[in-house]
Amino acid sequence: MWSFGALLGNPGFFSSGPVQTALIVGACAALVSAVIGVFSVWRGNAFAGHALADVSSAGGAVSFLLGISPLLGFLGMAWIAAFSMEFLGIRIGRERDLTTGIVLGAGLGLSALFLYLDVTTTSTTGAAVSVMFGSLFAIPQSLITPALAASGSVFLLVGLFYRPMMLAAVDPDLAAVRGVSLRWVGLLQLLALGLAVAVCALAIGAVLATALLIGPAGAAIRLSRRPGQAILWAMVIGLTAVWGGIWMAYASYYWFSGNAWPVSFFVVALVFLFYLAAVLFAKVAGLAAHPKPVTWPHCET
Amino acid sequence: MLRFDYKKSSAFFTAGCRSCSHFSVLRVAMRMVAAGCVGLGMAQAAPATTIRAVGVENVYANVIGQIGGKYVTVSAIESNPNTDPHSFEASPAVAREIAAAQIVVRNGVGYDSWAKKILAADPNPQRKVIVVQDLFHLPQRTQNPHLWYKPETMPVVAQAVAQGLTALDPVHAAYFAAHLRQFDASLKPWYQAIARFRAQFGGTPVAVTEPVADYMLQAAGCDIKTPWNLQAAIMNGTDPSPQDVSTQNNLFKRHQVKVFVYNQQVTNSLTSAFLSNARAAKIPVVGAYETMPMGYSYQSWMLTEVHMLRNAVERGTSTTVLK
Repeated sequence: MWSFGALLGNPGFFSSGPVQTALIVGACAALVSAVIGVFSVWRGNAFAGHALADVSSAGGAVSFLLGISPLLGFLGMAWIAAFSMEFLGIRIGRERDLTTGIVLGAGLGLSALFLYLDVTTTSTTGAAVSVMFGSLFAIPQSLITPALAASGSVFLLVGLFYRPMMLAAVDPDLAAVRGVSLRWVGLLQLLALGLAVAVCALAIGAVLATALLIGPAGAAIRLSRRPGQAILWAMVIGLTAVWGGIWMAYASYYWFSGNAWPVSFFVVALVFLFYLAAVLFAKVAGLAAHPKPVTWPHCET
Repeated sequence: MLRFDYKKSSAFFTAGCRSCSHFSVLRVAMRMVAAGCVGLGMAQAAPATTIRAVGVENVYANVIGQIGGKYVTVSAIESNPNTDPHSFEASPAVAREIAAAQIVVRNGVGYDSWAKKILAADPNPQRKVIVVQDLFHLPQRTQNPHLWYKPETMPVVAQAVAQGLTALDPVHAAYFAAHLRQFDASLKPWYQAIARFRAQFGGTPVAVTEPVADYMLQAAGCDIKTPWNLQAAIMNGTDPSPQDVSTQNNLFKRHQVKVFVYNQQVTNSLTSAFLSNARAAKIPVVGAYETMPMGYSYQSWMLTEVHMLRNAVERGTSTTVLK
């Protein structure tokens, strides 16, 4: 393994403990955000997903105060925010952005308070940077299992309720006609979205989580109209961006004589480049931007 | 006799830590009783027109107290041993205290730039401001801001404080000069301890989390094996590089260091991981502090740090918490 990394110009890459943890947690974030991201983009919920991720930073800040796992902090706050947005009527078209923005502002205000309490009552060096922008290489090994569990739950939820979730996302009216309980599906979707946001925030920070949550999904829906294929594309793009970012951050140690650049920057930069490439490709290939799949989910398979 | 105004400094300490105010008041009170400290009584009996002084870092407040004695009332701003002073946030009460001071000592080198802003916002030509960075003409890009761990720092600071106090209160010039001589003499045991360590254990390889005690370790002839970029990343709370993290872990695993100097006030998940790796490899741990721990003077604190280092190298004893 060691020689493989050296061969590719990154000696010690695969044998490094922090890199191994980063690769696993990063993969979790890329895969869950691909699935949830595609649903969110179809539902037109990208901004809500972004808001949830930002608001979850308050939970990350609280976790330092309480001494609990940051994943639990992110998750708790993401769920609280998700349900308050649902309760405040996030579904009503015109009001949606407004409500989301207001919850977002309130949540970030809480983050400011909790980060202040962090630094004034406990020794939490770098809390603000790690909560907001993440630090994949500084994630303790003990968080691998919880991250895997959270990602597993997302796949379980989506796997069990794929069809109703898909239908509700793409065409709520048709879903209602077909007897899908929109309330229950919406609830499940929020649970899954919260989990995905928590894993992403842990990996690349609450503020940057949105890049992973909607970037690969946004690129994927330009590459394929088939729901299953789009999810697969999002996974490939997300995984390439995250692992490529980790690889580049590791290599940057040699580029800048020991002053490695933050891994979150590379991940987000790659996501953006992939999105641009997908847009260009769709233009060249003559595919129109189409936020909704033409192949209805019930026709698939 | 230590004449540092404990009443004042404890008030600040509790102001910065409301959630544990009862506990810390009790603790301070107990410590004063235990130490047989009568400084409080003396401070109250001091002349009505004492000089109001602020040490932005409590270690400088302690030195002002030692030089100014009964003619100063000193407050310390950064004194909470449970927080990271690098991420200190000033409150309006702190701003008022600094603005009202006649003499202020602050570290500089970006460590307390908030205090610089407060002083600039309330200009007062009568106020004496001593910036330790400027006393040594250090450039702003100086990488390690923990100047008080450098043996040559405090005599120069004490002299500047004595000059400042003399300018504010010329009548008591002789008093301040005597205290300055006393202070300089009291640093001798620390210097001797450093010299003895250097002679006996010079070249001892050590690992650190961040650079808090680096100046003292270098004076004692220690060979700091932790990569500087890792120390800087931990101090500033930025991304560490995996290469540096592996280097540090290998120092423990392969027993390439004799001591692990652990900053108790600059901690995160990474430093705790290092701590458990060092313990697993049975490498003695020495706790270092950013702010002067309660119940110590500058001299006794620094001397204790050297003793802890010596105990670790000589007997493999870990001393993490200063009480």
